Parts: sequence; C-alpha cells; structure tokens
Amino acid sequence: MDQNQHDRLAQEAQYQSNPMMAPTILPTQTYGHSLSSSYPRLHPYDPQAMYQLRQEPLQQQLTNFWAKKRQEIEETTSFKTHSLPLARIKKIMKGEEGVRMVSAEASVVFAKACEMFMMELTIRASGSAEENQRKIIKKCDVASAISRTDVFDFLVDIVSGHNKIMEQQGFVGIPRIGTALTPTENVPYYQMPPHQSLVPGPPYGSSGMVVGMPVHYQNHPGLQTPTMGPTPNPQNSSRDSDS
Amino acid sequence: MAESDNESGGHTGNASGSNELSGCREQDRFLPIANVSRIMKKALPANAKISKEAKETVQECVSEFISFITGEASDKCQKEKRKTINGDDLLWAMTTLGFEDYVDPLKIYLHKYREMEGEKTAMMGRPHERDEGYGHGHGHATPMMTMMMGHQPQHQHQHQHQGHVYGSGSASSARTR
Repeated sequence: MDQNQHDRLAQEAQYQSNPMMAPTILPTQTYGHSLSSSYPRLHPYDPQAMYQLRQEPLQQQLTNFWAKKRQEIEETTSFKTHSLPLARIKKIMKGEEGVRMVSAEASVVFAKACEMFMMELTIRASGSAEENQRKIIKKCDVASAISRTDVFDFLVDIVSGHNKIMEQQGFVGIPRIGTALTPTENVPYYQMPPHQSLVPGPPYGSSGMVVGMPVHYQNHPGLQTPTMGPTPNPQNSSRDSDS
Repeated sequence: MAESDNESGGHTGNASGSNELSGCREQDRFLPIANVSRIMKKALPANAKISKEAKETVQECVSEFISFITGEASDKCQKEKRKTINGDDLLWAMTTLGFEDYVDPLKIYLHKYREMEGEKTAMMGRPHERDEGYGHGHGHATPMMTMMMGHQPQHQHQHQHQGHVYGSGSASSARTR
C-alpha cells in the first residue's frame, strides 16, 4: 500500500512538473488530447453529437468498473481494513430520523457501497470534464453527472444552486462553462475555440482505454492514516493550489 | 443490547473517528475528505486531477446517499417492528431505490463477511449453520429470491433481534418513491 501510494505521488509530482517545463507537451497517456490540441480547428463537431458518441466509451468504462468491482469483492480475504471509517458511517446512519440500532454488518456493507457510489459518480463526472476538454474534474462536472443519471435524482438539491447557474448560462453546448464560474486556469485547452471537440477515432479510443487502472488497490490504508482538519496534509494543499 | 463497536472493524473506525473528532463536530456529518479523495482517484487514470470543490461535493453526496438508503431501510424495519438495521435491509433498500447494480457485488461481500463472522462465532462455541441458507441464495441474487428465502436470522444475537419473514416485502416493493 505504501509503495502504491508512493508511486501515485511520484506520478502526480511528475505530472505537476510538466506544465512548468513545457505546458503544451502532454503525457503519453493523453495522446488523444495532444492530437486535438495540435489540430484545434479541423473538427468542430456538434457537442450533442459528441455526447452521444461518448456515451459508448462512458458505458464501457462503467461496465469495466462493475466487472472489476465484483472481482475485487470476490477476492476479498479480510474485513479488518475498510476504505472508510465505520464509526463515521454509523454516525451518519443514526442521524436519520427513526433509526435506532445499526448492526456491524450494515456499516461494513455501507463502506463498500459508498466506495462504489463515489467511484461511479466520479467516472460519470470525468465524462463531463472530458466532454468540455478539461483534465480537471470540477463541481459542475459532478452536477452534470447527477442531472444525467436518474438514480441520482435524490442528489439534485445538493447541487441545485449550481444547476441554476448552469441553466442561466445555457450550459448545454457551451464547453467554457468552467471559465464562467471560476478564474481561468493555466490549461492549454482553454485556448481552443468554444465548440472545439475531441477528435473521434484511435486517439480517443486510446484515451478511453487509459481510464482503466492497471493495478487496483484492495486494502486501502485509509484507516491506518487518519486525517485531521479540512486540509489533512501538504500534498492535498499542493494539489488544491493547482486546481 | 451491546453495540457493535467492539468489532475489529468498528474499533479501527473508532480510532479514525477519534482523530476526526478532534476537529469540529460539524465534520461528523461527512466522511473524511482524504478518504473521499483517495477513492475518487482510484476511479480515474493517474494523471487526472480533481478540484477541491468537486471533492467536497462528492463528500456531501455520499452522506446524502447513506441517509437516503438508511431512511428507506429504517422505514422497512419499523414496519416489521425490528429495531436493528442489518445488511439485508440495506440491500433491499438499494434495490427499491434503483441501485440494482450495487446489490449483486454487495451480496457477495455480505456473504463473505458473515462467513468470517461465523468462524468467529464457531470459535466461541456457537453454531453458524444458518449461513447455509444464505449461501444457497448466493449466485441467484434477485429480490424475488431474497423474498422467497425469507429473512435469515442473524447469528450475532447480542447485536440484534430475530428477523421476520418478508411478509410485507411485496407490498413495500410496490411502493413508489
């Protein structure tokens, strides 16, 4: 686990150093984006058509996600480590009116269910970010994922304020919604025309394939490294300043 | 009735919770942002980035998810005059609320967990053959099958009461959101 975490941090460090050295040079994994950047004006597809086209890759990502999740669960051998603190889950459950007793197994089931929920929501949000040619997932991407998924209707209130802004701005078809809501970031994509879309074909396929994680981490050290306060460690602060 | 905090998982959770509680009690409403961030990153390629606002939004969403499912499960327990929410109640609630994709993997997970707990119980000299009933359902995980099997009594009696047969299952299923 420590090694995995270290590797991830190393990767993030490498990625963070790239913009400074050569902002327009992208890692190999995002070859599709690089191609799009090289030819920004040649393929101004209709955003709605692009969304339809991307539905397939998104569905494939979700199918892969569920298959991987099932395999991961089938390989579970220990219930001593959870990716989420069980006591906190139990406290949230007891905050619901009428709830009296919560069995240990209920907290354990929820720990796994919440992990799946957050990963599904994140995958759908990344589809929205990609649609707008961004590599950074923003709050509006989460809101977009929620509005497009029926089973997430119960979350509409949480992002309703943002949705109103999106509606007023005529969000559909305008990929620059991000810049309207937040300061412009030093990201090459924002130099493209408003309706620029990714080029379909092999580069996009490559980009889609990258989404699958080559290694999955069964036992997370979440409980072994408890955090305190809103910004637990310098790494998070560093990443936050970038976003 | 003793709470489940003496479970090893619960104990670890308490340790983490204690650390979190040194912040402010408002944080009790949410899961730790570091855990949320780590799980979100697991769903993405290594070079993807997530804004702080997106992490905080998902943090709020997952608490809402817990409350949403718990509320439905709690209603069912009250109708059946049971005091304790167990794993099956959560799976039933998820099916009712449209999270069918989650239920199959979670059934496997819950089955494995109960097997492990059964081994612990056996070491304490208590029978755990009731797992066999649930095991029979494994691989045929549909709401109908669950109802037909009836509710399996828990072998952790010190934590919860006996369950009831899902007599009102069909009525509850007919309920709309």
